[in-house]
This record gives sequence, C-alpha cells and structure tokens, in this order.
Amino acid sequence: MKPRVLIIIPAYNEAATIAAVIAELHRSVPDYHILVVDDGSDDETSSVVELLEDVKLVTLPHNLGIGGAMQTGYKYALRNGYDVAVQCDADGQHPPDQIHALVERLERGDADTVIGSRYVADTQYVPSMPRRVGKSILSRLIDALVGGGITDTTSGFRAVNRKVISLFARYYPDDYPEPETLIILHKAGLRAVEVPVRMQPRQGGVTSIRPGKAAYYMVKVALAIFVDTFRKFTRAPGDL
Amino acid sequence: MNDAPQLGFQTVHRAALLLLSVLLLAFVLELVRRGRFKERYALLWLAAAGASLAIGLFPVLIEKLALVMRVQYLTVVYGVSFLFLLGIVLGFSVVISRLSERCRELAQEIALLAHRVHRMESQDRDEE
Repeated sequence: MKPRVLIIIPAYNEAATIAAVIAELHRSVPDYHILVVDDGSDDETSSVVELLEDVKLVTLPHNLGIGGAMQTGYKYALRNGYDVAVQCDADGQHPPDQIHALVERLERGDADTVIGSRYVADTQYVPSMPRRVGKSILSRLIDALVGGGITDTTSGFRAVNRKVISLFARYYPDDYPEPETLIILHKAGLRAVEVPVRMQPRQGGVTSIRPGKAAYYMVKVALAIFVDTFRKFTRAPGDL
Repeated sequence: MNDAPQLGFQTVHRAALLLLSVLLLAFVLELVRRGRFKERYALLWLAAAGASLAIGLFPVLIEKLALVMRVQYLTVVYGVSFLFLLGIVLGFSVVISRLSERCRELAQEIALLAHRVHRMESQDRDEE
C-alpha cells in the first residue's frame, strides 16, 4: 500500500515564492498532500495560498518561529493520519524532484527519518565561512552525542515516519530546530539516515539566520542539546 | 572599632523603613482589591512587606543576624533583599517560560481548529 504523504511547508512572509514552489511540488509529486503553515506572516502569504488548488492552509494567529510552525504541521499530520511527513522550505531551496527519493528511502523501513544532505558526496554545496565553522562545531557536538552518521545536521529537508510525527507533535524545539531534533530522535530511540541532495539557491525572501545571530544560535542550540541529553522523550500514548 | 560605634538601626532608618513597608503594604492591598494581582503573587509581596515591617518594628532581628554573621547590619539588609529579588526573578522566568509554551500550544490549536472549521463550512456549502 502506498503511504499517505504530507508535505509541510512552513512559510513566513513567502508570498513572492510560495506559489511557484507549490506548483513545482504538484508537478513533481502529485500524489502527496501539501500543507502550508503560515507562521503569522505580515505579507500576503495566506491569501496567495488560499487561491491555489489542492493545498491545505493553516494560519497561525501570531508568529511562533520556524519550530512552532513546523510542529503545527506535525500535529496536523498526526491528527489526520498521515504515514509520512516531509519538511520542505517555502523559498525553493529544497528541490521537489528529490522528495520522492527521501520518501523511497524511508519506505525501506530501516530508518525513521531521512535527511536530504548537502554534504554527502555528489552535491556542490559550499556554505560561507562563519556558517561553515558554526555548523562544523555543531555537527561534531551532535556526532559525539548521537554516534555519527549525520553530516548535514542543519538540513531542514527531511522525511519522517509516523513514529517521528507523533514524537515531534509533542517535542519540537522553538527556533533553529534541526540540530536539536537529531538529539531528540536519538534519545527517543529513533534512527536518522542521510541521502545526498542537490540544493538550489533560494528564489526569494531572506534567510532566517542573520550572521550576527549565528553565534547566539550556536550557543543556544548547544545549550539545548546539552539539556536534552538529560531529558526523557516519550511518544504520545496510543501512537504505535 | 570602639571610637566609631557601628550602630544598628537609627531612628531615622527605622522610620523610613516603617514608612516604606506601610506604603508597600497599602499598595499591594490596593492592587489586590482592584484585581490586578493574582493572589499567589500578592501573597509574595505581602510577605515581603510584612518582613520589612517586622524589621522596622524589631530591628534587633537583623542586628542579631548581623552579629552572628560578623557583618554590618546594612550588609544583611542588602543580602536578604538581594536573595529575595533573585528568587522572585527566577520564579518569573519560570512562569514566563511556561506561559510562552502554553501560548504556543494555544496558537497551534486555534490554527488547526480554524482550518477544520473552514473545511467543514466549505463542505456544507458544497452540499447545499
């Protein structure tokens, strides 16, 4: 049986690019459902999405940040019985034609999360210097705690199964969530694997991480990760 | 240390402290009366006002403590106030964190419910 797949697109002020991204998704993966979570945008994101066919739209009453928006998507996926959820950015960085590869890898059944990685061989991604440094420190930290296997700890291009959906519906970090979710997965006894993907340059909008904030995020994520190692993460009762 | 005796509270200090305590007490009670305070926070501040009132009335409390700790009474006053405020601020950080967590959950719930209502309404319209 084919899995029911939901693509979650968290969108904050993405009116300029969201329609094109969704059109591309419809072309690449017509069988998958699409959910846009408008994270309290100030622009026309919601009204643009409302006019599109075959898109579900959840509009948050105020801005929660990427983590709160993503978690809304996972809650939606959990309550509506989806087998697989795919996280995909609204700015066109995540190539829709690679989503299928993520889901197929997940269907093999030996992993609970599949991450589209920019570092695994066969990609041409070269991040800027400070980003590279910050990410490599984070990656090493996570590597030490989780036991390796993941090179692109900040990639937000992911497919997860129902176990992870129910976990993330309960626990999801607030901002800059990707590295920390790896720890949460690990603590919950769930497995993440990587597949190489070729990312595209963003089509519009601005990156949510400004250089000045990078250091702050680094410290914050490091602290969160440290604290997480002493926490327990259990999935919602009654879920698989 | 004999030539300049370290006095405990002088009358003027006591008067000031008593006045402040009474004002604080009155202010807190007034806020409670107007419903601007949750009782649990009101209790906290009432306790603070009560404590400073007690010290104003019986300065020997704090002088004893200063003697035992071998510091000046003012140090004790500062120390006690500092710890009290530290406790309050820490408590507030906990409360704020919890509130923001709940606020996030509520926003998500509202958004998901609004989506369902919207879908049900459009279904109704299709059936008509």
